[in-house]
Amino acid sequence: MWDGVIIGGGLAGLVAGIRASERGKKLMLVAEGTGSLTYSSGALDIGAIDLLQRSEKHPYALLQEKSIRDGLAYFQTLFPEYRENAEKPPLVLTPLGSCRTGGLAPAGLIADRLSQVRNIVLMAPKGMKDFFASVVKANLEKEFCQSTVRIYPFQVSAFASWYQVGRPVNGIEYARFWRTETGMQELGRLLGELTQDIEGSSVAVVFPGLTRVFSESLQKLLAQFPFPVVEMTDMSPAFGGDILHEALKRKFKELGGEMMIGSGVWQADCEGKTCQQVRVKSKGRDSILKAKEFILATGGVFGGGVEVTPTGAQEKVLKIPLFLPSEWTQAQFLREQPYARLGVEVDAALRPLDPQSGELIFKNVRVVGRMLAHWDPWVEFCGGGVSVATGWLAGETL
Amino acid sequence: MEHLLKLEQERDLTLDDCIKCSACSAQCPVAAVYPLFPGPKSVGPDMERLRLEGVRLDTSILSFCSNCKTCEVTCPSDVKITEMILGARQAAVKAKNVSSRHKLRDAMLGRAEYLGILGTISPGLTNGILGISSVRWLMERSLGISQLAPLPKYQPRFKGLRKSSAVSGLTQSLKQEPPSRKRVVYFPGCFINYNDPQTGEAVVKVLEHNGYEVILPPFHCCGVPLQANGNFKGAEDNAKKNLALLAPYLQEGLPVVASCTSCGLALREEYPHVKAEGAERIGLQTYDLFEFLWELHKRGELQEDFHEVPRSLGYHPPCHLKAQGIGTPSVRLLRLIPGVTIDDLDAGCCGLSGSFEFKEEKYPLAMQIGSHLFKRAQEGVAQGKFERLITECGGCKVQIEHGSGVKAEHPIWVMMEAYGLSDIRLSDK
Repeated sequence: MWDGVIIGGGLAGLVAGIRASERGKKLMLVAEGTGSLTYSSGALDIGAIDLLQRSEKHPYALLQEKSIRDGLAYFQTLFPEYRENAEKPPLVLTPLGSCRTGGLAPAGLIADRLSQVRNIVLMAPKGMKDFFASVVKANLEKEFCQSTVRIYPFQVSAFASWYQVGRPVNGIEYARFWRTETGMQELGRLLGELTQDIEGSSVAVVFPGLTRVFSESLQKLLAQFPFPVVEMTDMSPAFGGDILHEALKRKFKELGGEMMIGSGVWQADCEGKTCQQVRVKSKGRDSILKAKEFILATGGVFGGGVEVTPTGAQEKVLKIPLFLPSEWTQAQFLREQPYARLGVEVDAALRPLDPQSGELIFKNVRVVGRMLAHWDPWVEFCGGGVSVATGWLAGETL
Repeated sequence: MEHLLKLEQERDLTLDDCIKCSACSAQCPVAAVYPLFPGPKSVGPDMERLRLEGVRLDTSILSFCSNCKTCEVTCPSDVKITEMILGARQAAVKAKNVSSRHKLRDAMLGRAEYLGILGTISPGLTNGILGISSVRWLMERSLGISQLAPLPKYQPRFKGLRKSSAVSGLTQSLKQEPPSRKRVVYFPGCFINYNDPQTGEAVVKVLEHNGYEVILPPFHCCGVPLQANGNFKGAEDNAKKNLALLAPYLQEGLPVVASCTSCGLALREEYPHVKAEGAERIGLQTYDLFEFLWELHKRGELQEDFHEVPRSLGYHPPCHLKAQGIGTPSVRLLRLIPGVTIDDLDAGCCGLSGSFEFKEEKYPLAMQIGSHLFKRAQEGVAQGKFERLITECGGCKVQIEHGSGVKAEHPIWVMMEAYGLSDIRLSDK
């Protein structure tokens, strides 16, 4: 019998697992694959907490400010390299070189420094997939009009055969390379050459395909360089999300948590308002996991927690009835889409409720992250915050 | 044929589940080191669409899939990516673009069992010959078997418990009791049979210590090496032979345990699709060794008279354990032993992938694939975090020792020490 089984291995599920393991609980986490966290840039959106917590039924409204703040603070104690500035959310660069606010972002991504320099050097790694130096340059010049942007093309001998056969190098591949010993030597050399080449002092470097978070040696190396180096977020699957996912997994395992990845729960056996056990699609036969409590962190439509069919939408594991908006879509593609708010309604302890009657469905199930109803990550920019805060609360109270 | 058709239909259905997120290609160990391999998404579901339309594609790249199944574990949409690649390889088996030299080599490496039988006639002599560098050079030039690859050493064949090793007091005392009705079938696999019989003996001892009579039918190779080297017919034949040996026990409802994670995966994933008696039960009744021991623990039937084992160990989860989707039962179980601490490295594929690394053109890739794990192993030892690694897979063990110089063992040896069944301490092995 496990103290808890977590279904879903994204941000919310892992944060819940880490907090509960830290409290001494025995936990198993089951996930269908690596989870959509690996698609993310690694910068977590928080959103306007004070505003959103006044919005009826919003997860922030259920949690209230103290829980949200505690959850976010907890995340920062886990990963001190992630910084939040509640007063003035930091800027991060998109893969196209424009700016957006990044609620909780690793220090290397924070781009505010660019507004204080007159010269920006844009590193242009040869053959990098989905990186368009001239577009990024144009956007940087628009965003930071006080400065001139110079493109600095370079190539890396380790990828010579990539260049030769014409295979693009993903940002993730560049980012992994810089973390190897050879990569760091090459980076040291490259930055050394650049230092020789740069004139003046009001300079910052923008470096796509480089991520220093969770690598002390890379941070040390970059600190030796006389100019600030600002990273860019990358197209998915992006290294920033991947490395955060790895770091979360590692923390969870270090604390004694166990994971079954690549299988996934396909059914739950329940009695009345209690979920007894779940069935995992292991090879050959189901693995049966009994637990005192369950955390449902399977994500939304994109993450695979909700299945949408021509006739409706269904929560796949526990078959919890979903809140569904009366109109699903609206004509203007880039405007708010009502379907984004579909999901499971919960009480303040994150336990699922029937959206019609408001009645409690399961006493020993908590729902976290994207599966929750009444929020829209694309309009409210609060995806990371909701996942971290609800995950933390579930882990804190399991 | 019928089941093959059904498999193909299932594969076609999962083709549409691929949302092109590229998560699999981002995690593929081969694509990361080999630019000509475009990654599982491309050679799997992307090209599958063209293959289904009858478009003829260059099939030579398919052999660079190492069959580690990381893509299938990674995929959030349950797409059978490796299965698609293997299927395409099967279709291209008579491909003209495989050099005859490599054809012979692949046929040989697929036959781990025959090599084992040959090699163990006189293990000392075989190891001696294979230890001569000019022989290895010749093997590379003539067959394409890398002269640098860590070919595992042969040992006298595993024949269950030999008398000399069954002297431990506890095993003895159990033997004197009336024969127990608890029985289990053990599938040792080629590595135990020909390269590491001591570990096989340890498995038997631990099962016997728990009151089980261990049945050891004369199994053949599970078929994974054959499949990985393009001999699909041979793999299916082996599965049928093994199922014929298993059928009566399966009928009785006996559990089958595998201590090798690739054999275990084949029994659970491939065998149920074979048209033979027992196929319908094999998946249901096969257990990874430590999964089985954990089941005993859950039922309160595991002997937990553990001695303290003050050991810090690093753990490498084999790819084919991950692919079974059962978690890491050995870590879970060994943590019940007082004194044991385990650092689950989870640092990716070791690179060996069965016989992938033994091939001259793949050896450097395999070493690069494993480099991350080697580094973690070396750092862990240097920083005093652990003294050695444990891993269930014999191939991973050989590769870790070859690539990092850090000793690796099957986790059963920790159980042996905890039960006081081992004359040799783990550290002396």
